[in-house]
Amino acid sequence: MSDANLIIFLSTISTGLILGSIFALVAVGVTIVYGSIWMPNAANGQFFVLAALLGWTMTVSWGIHPAIAAILVIGVSVPLSYGLEYILVRRFYDVPNRNISYFVLSLGITQILTGIFAATYGRWSDQFQLPPLVSGITFIGPLPVANNRLMVLALALSILAALFALLRYHRYGRAIRAVFQNRDAAALRGVNVKASYSLSFALGNAVIFAGGILFALAYSFDLTVAWTMSITAFAIMIIGGPGSVLGAVIVGMVFGFTQAAVSTVASPTIAAFSYLGAMLLILLFKPSGLFAR
Amino acid sequence: MNDILLDVKAVSKRFGGVAALKGIDLVQHRGETLGMIGPNGSGKTTFVNVISGHTKPNSGTVSFDGRSVSGTNPFQIAKAGLTRTYQAVRVFGELTVRENVATALVDARDAASQEAVAEIADWLRITHRFDKPAGSLTLMEQRQVELLMRLVQKPKLMMLDEPVGGLSSAEVRTMIGVLSELKGRCTIFVIEHTMKVIRELADKVVVLMAGEKLAEGPPAQILADQRVIDKYLGTADA
Amino acid sequence: MTPVTEKKDLSLLAKGHGLPLACFAVVAFATPFLLSGNRYFAFVAGVTMIHILWASGMNLLYGYTGLMPLMFAGLAGISAYTVVGLTASGWSFWLALPVGALAASISGIILGLPSLRLKGFYFTLCSLVIQTVVTLGFIYFSGLTNGDTGISQIPLPSMGGGQPLSGLAYDLVLSAAAVIGVIVLIVIVKSTLGRRLIAIREDDELAGMLGINVTGYKMIAFFIGSLFAGVGGALYAPYIGFISPRSFDVLISMNIWLMVAFGGRGTIWGPVIGAILLAPLSFLLQEYYTVKDILYGLLIIAVIVLMPAGIAGGFLRKKKESAPPLDVPATPRGAK
Repeated sequence: MSDANLIIFLSTISTGLILGSIFALVAVGVTIVYGSIWMPNAANGQFFVLAALLGWTMTVSWGIHPAIAAILVIGVSVPLSYGLEYILVRRFYDVPNRNISYFVLSLGITQILTGIFAATYGRWSDQFQLPPLVSGITFIGPLPVANNRLMVLALALSILAALFALLRYHRYGRAIRAVFQNRDAAALRGVNVKASYSLSFALGNAVIFAGGILFALAYSFDLTVAWTMSITAFAIMIIGGPGSVLGAVIVGMVFGFTQAAVSTVASPTIAAFSYLGAMLLILLFKPSGLFAR
Repeated sequence: MNDILLDVKAVSKRFGGVAALKGIDLVQHRGETLGMIGPNGSGKTTFVNVISGHTKPNSGTVSFDGRSVSGTNPFQIAKAGLTRTYQAVRVFGELTVRENVATALVDARDAASQEAVAEIADWLRITHRFDKPAGSLTLMEQRQVELLMRLVQKPKLMMLDEPVGGLSSAEVRTMIGVLSELKGRCTIFVIEHTMKVIRELADKVVVLMAGEKLAEGPPAQILADQRVIDKYLGTADA
Repeated sequence: MTPVTEKKDLSLLAKGHGLPLACFAVVAFATPFLLSGNRYFAFVAGVTMIHILWASGMNLLYGYTGLMPLMFAGLAGISAYTVVGLTASGWSFWLALPVGALAASISGIILGLPSLRLKGFYFTLCSLVIQTVVTLGFIYFSGLTNGDTGISQIPLPSMGGGQPLSGLAYDLVLSAAAVIGVIVLIVIVKSTLGRRLIAIREDDELAGMLGINVTGYKMIAFFIGSLFAGVGGALYAPYIGFISPRSFDVLISMNIWLMVAFGGRGTIWGPVIGAILLAPLSFLLQEYYTVKDILYGLLIIAVIVLMPAGIAGGFLRKKKESAPPLDVPATPRGAK
């Protein structure tokens, strides 16, 4: 392999890893919320961009260090989630077929946030860029990679690992998973279902926010990334199997690599077409997804 | 009574790796009331689903009224004169009883005349509820609406999936009365756990056990059959 | 005393829609004359008429058949691009319109096929994906659509004497389209087709068991609903004079859905009122599109939270419950 080809190959791998881990984070957030409260949150892309924009304000406008800003942004998501849960989400917990109500509700939230972003941030700038977490460059073979992006990758993977551990071993995680599997049975076993609902809603959104701020730290972004992210996260969730965390991680990684590979050889529109096509096929022929629980 | 209405040959159905029906053969004659019993999960409802076209069998054939209906859609089977009820009562809850009946008349095989509808509704004692949303009625009344919606289509065979499920004992008695009169209107196939219903209505009983036909015969003989008692009637399910 | 089944009598006055229909027709045809002094308001009224047509088509699918097709605007776009393409290559608009509408209908049947397998949220998600693909297609095949830039200076249709159809005349055509659309919807809803579609909306498995060809009638609903979308799209393009992929994207689908849901799904007049209230709003707020987005978002949430049946739906339900019960079901039924 020639040096140039090797560089292209390595850069595809590294971009794929970073994008894949961020896709996986967002999709895991979406799938946790869907798996527990049956809410297909179409506003996930707006939440993602909200996190990125908050991070931009904190670092660029207020001069806060990006690491502290990232923690603050994820922290802010918790009261936001609980507020939203209290005002809107809670009242549908016992509605039959509530996923369609939630879906429309989240489309309404999407439209509101779209308007707010356009009115506020849209006037300031088209492209947003955050200062890096760390400086410097590391050579992987012949390929120079910004330490900042490696840091983002490490953080994203650690959060995914921590989530796995939480859902598998911790008391709260086990409660969430019990409700995932069977709400009534979990209630009988003494799990506080409603509390676990609000907890999973907050947890899922926190993970989406984490994805948003990490993406903003690694790449510059604009407001249109919101809708792309919404569709991508939904595609990952549907293909991986709604409610399946493992499926979201695996498919998210696959999508990241696809995006990285396709972008080097063809246009991003082709990548979007292929995600949507894959999602349509799964919807039609295996709606429970590839990694159904 | 030797006119065959329903002829089922070697019907099998698997869900994933689980065999729900294993090569069921069954014959029902015109005018003969057939009762099907068996524990929960023995495949009774799956059997009705296969006959009514809701579930496609993996193998086997079904012919109804001399014609093969294997592989056809529920609406075609309904138009051939085979109708059914569901284990959980199922009406158009938001619509009034009148609208429910009107819907049943739209694509009926042989829609009853207005007078005939009135006669059936009077017989079922549901006339006074005609302008109520069907979902607001009691379970018993909804069961009556279900029967009304089927009868206005003048079916040849009506398959009832646990018609007295969830009813009080007084209502069960009323329903048994209704069903025994129903025998004069069409041929009946009935799934029941309540042996009283089977004993009073059925001419022939089929016992289903884990997807297989365990026994078949007149009720008195079946209910006294030692294998049936050991495997089913002796258990809490019956 | 109402019969169990409607007789094959389509006289609208007898069904209680006659008076509102007459009022609506009078208002629809009078408005262009009344507003003829102010081109801008007349224009907003014209756009509202197109939205009444669209909302009625969406209502047939969402309100009466129980499917929420978020690719509705995409279907209108297919028709609009077809008509603009055909007229640009020399076709008469009046010949291109039925072709465009038919293109939308056929696309509607094909894109509606997933509804045979998917229900509720899954179908809606699927339709959202389809809408996104259609929008991407409008952008991607820029040879036909001029991509994101859109097509501007679309010529007006010509009238009989070679005169362009403009101003008052075009407004009246749009009013006629809206009135005809509502009449078609009334006729469908009052016919046995309407009864079948409502049965499918309420419980499609039960409907099939009662002998209703669920697959066939869903496709018919898609054909007719998409025809509404297509006619609206064809009339929209020359009227506005400009179309782009954004004219027919998912937000437009959501807006049309909102008119139906806000007005009251499954009623004839609710969605008409919804369109009359909301379509001008989106136009008057065009300069402040962020305000429009936020307002629409809030309305969507309000509809979902406060009135699942919409304005007219809630009103109707109350009226229905207070109606005195009748004792006898029967009057002679028309021959089958």
